[in-house]
Amino acid sequence: MIVRNSMIRHGRRAVAAPASQSCLRSLSSSTPRPAAPWQTGPATAVAEPPAELASAPTQTSAHSQSFALAQAAARKAGLAAIPSNHAEYERQRSLTRPLGSRVTSRYHPDQDLVNPPHDVTLEMLMAAQSHMGHHVGQWNPANQRYIYGERAGIHIISLETTAAHLRRAARVVEEVAYHGGLILFVGTRKGQMPAVVRAAELAGGCHLYQKWVPGGITNRDVILANGRLKVVDERDRELPGFEAHLRDCRPVVPDLVVCLNPVENYPLLHECGLAGIPTIGVIDTDADPTWVTYQIPANDDSLRCITLIAGMLGRAGERGQARRLADANDGICTWETPREIATFIRREAKERAREKEAALQEAAEQGLLDDKPLTREQFLSDEELLSEMTDPPIAPNPSSPEA
Amino acid sequence: MGRQFLAARVLQTAEARLTKGGLRIPTIRADVFAPMKNGPETAPAWLKAVAKVAPSETLTRPYPVQHTERRDRKSGRKLHPHRNMFRPTRIVHPEDELRRDFFRDHPWELARPRMLLELDGQDARHRDWSKGLRQPGMALSGECVVQRQLWLMENHGLSKQAAYDVARKEFYHLRHQEEVERRLAVEEARMYGAYFGQDYNRVGMQLEDAAYERWKKWAGEQIAQIDLQRAEAYSSVVDEAEEIEAAVL
Repeated sequence: MIVRNSMIRHGRRAVAAPASQSCLRSLSSSTPRPAAPWQTGPATAVAEPPAELASAPTQTSAHSQSFALAQAAARKAGLAAIPSNHAEYERQRSLTRPLGSRVTSRYHPDQDLVNPPHDVTLEMLMAAQSHMGHHVGQWNPANQRYIYGERAGIHIISLETTAAHLRRAARVVEEVAYHGGLILFVGTRKGQMPAVVRAAELAGGCHLYQKWVPGGITNRDVILANGRLKVVDERDRELPGFEAHLRDCRPVVPDLVVCLNPVENYPLLHECGLAGIPTIGVIDTDADPTWVTYQIPANDDSLRCITLIAGMLGRAGERGQARRLADANDGICTWETPREIATFIRREAKERAREKEAALQEAAEQGLLDDKPLTREQFLSDEELLSEMTDPPIAPNPSSPEA
Repeated sequence: MGRQFLAARVLQTAEARLTKGGLRIPTIRADVFAPMKNGPETAPAWLKAVAKVAPSETLTRPYPVQHTERRDRKSGRKLHPHRNMFRPTRIVHPEDELRRDFFRDHPWELARPRMLLELDGQDARHRDWSKGLRQPGMALSGECVVQRQLWLMENHGLSKQAAYDVARKEFYHLRHQEEVERRLAVEEARMYGAYFGQDYNRVGMQLEDAAYERWKKWAGEQIAQIDLQRAEAYSSVVDEAEEIEAAVL
């Protein structure tokens, strides 16, 4: 790199191959020439590796010695020039730094998908058009408490109410995720797919952006028969040995349903009511607020508003999942084993014990059992026996993977 | 459909299922949602969360925000017991009247395109109406005039008409500047070899020509029709002199 720089500045001759031996022999008898000006350039810090010069042949030792001296001098001059060069560089920088425009991005259409916010402000909600309700004549009077006023023929939803309800819903999502609940994000309108998928991805839940098949909860044995399930431990690692249970078990139901367009998903919300599943819904001025457990009064016709709300709820779920896994690493499991799985484990253990018993019985009948089975003293060595007797008992480590 | 109450009662239902004898089996879907017979269930994962964060109040109607005094709304009417007292009131701003006046006087300003998309909602932080009509990040429009007028009314104590005159004169000056810049830009572009499409006058004349041609064609058809009718009328008229001659001959 250094050689190329000097070549660009000074031309090929500066890095030309050393002169031939015949030339150098004639040169050696003459007086040593002073170093050429281009060899001791002050502006460039040329640092030649001395190893190349050390390997020069001995016949050219006189010329190479003067060359080496010139190189060393050039190097020293270059190093000495560094502080002044640096000062000049800093001066140029300080002169040119305030020039040009400062480009800041105040809005990007994908910002709520790529980096959803953890909390909203009233300004964000207004910019996302979440205060715009429907026409005055099409309102549901049950929503009167969410409406700030009327303007331009439509109802204006109170943004303070929206923010308060949205934060409450976010707390529910976070707590359900913390307690190991399965959250289903539903948004079946055109354009809501990216928001729904992103929220489910953040919260570790499931998404639905096409039609809810009626009976997905009340008739789930038929509708969801083809779903794949897994059994995990408190750190979300899949556990082996549950294949028999997963073959026979019922499809699961969500623990919380977040619906971004409840007006079009009445069957889903009705099934959730029957099954006793809490729901969160975005309630516009013409929607029925009693269909959901937690209302978020906002504009369900604005994709920007929906994306903002879904993003914030997804972030809340993400926080809940992180807290849950952090507690799992500290040995705290925030949920209980479901009853079916506990029953299965108990039954499996009983079955295993019974099989073992039957095998022993059969072996005893066939005369395969040892009359005199080995005792511990026979197969453990003396040192092991001693350590067993004298060492303190090993306490089970809660952070070990086997625990 | 209509009012649903199952959604609001999920917590009570779940707690009742968990306590022995707490749940009266609902009549609908009793086969699916009956409590399990083989011992106590585990609480659902959402139970602690929902118990901790109670749902908000629904269906009740608080007294709405009164954006205008009741006396200001309908004049010449006695204040009866508050009719429609829960109806949300109309939001009114002082700028509304100013906007109405400005756009009534300058209707073609409504034809100018407007940007409806907001950025981060913090536009108000970058506005300083003491500095004039031009604001960073805002296109020059009637809204600038209205805000400047309001600022002058509130800070300099001018009357509505006086502030309007000051603000709109500034506006005319700036629009005139824009027109001059536009005209000069066209001239410069033409000097450098640009050519433009037809202007509105030329387009209008072409449309008029086309309409005239259509009318000419229609008129020709009408004339032909009238001639035909006239010819038919004459052919059915019997000339008495001719008839007598024919009878005689």
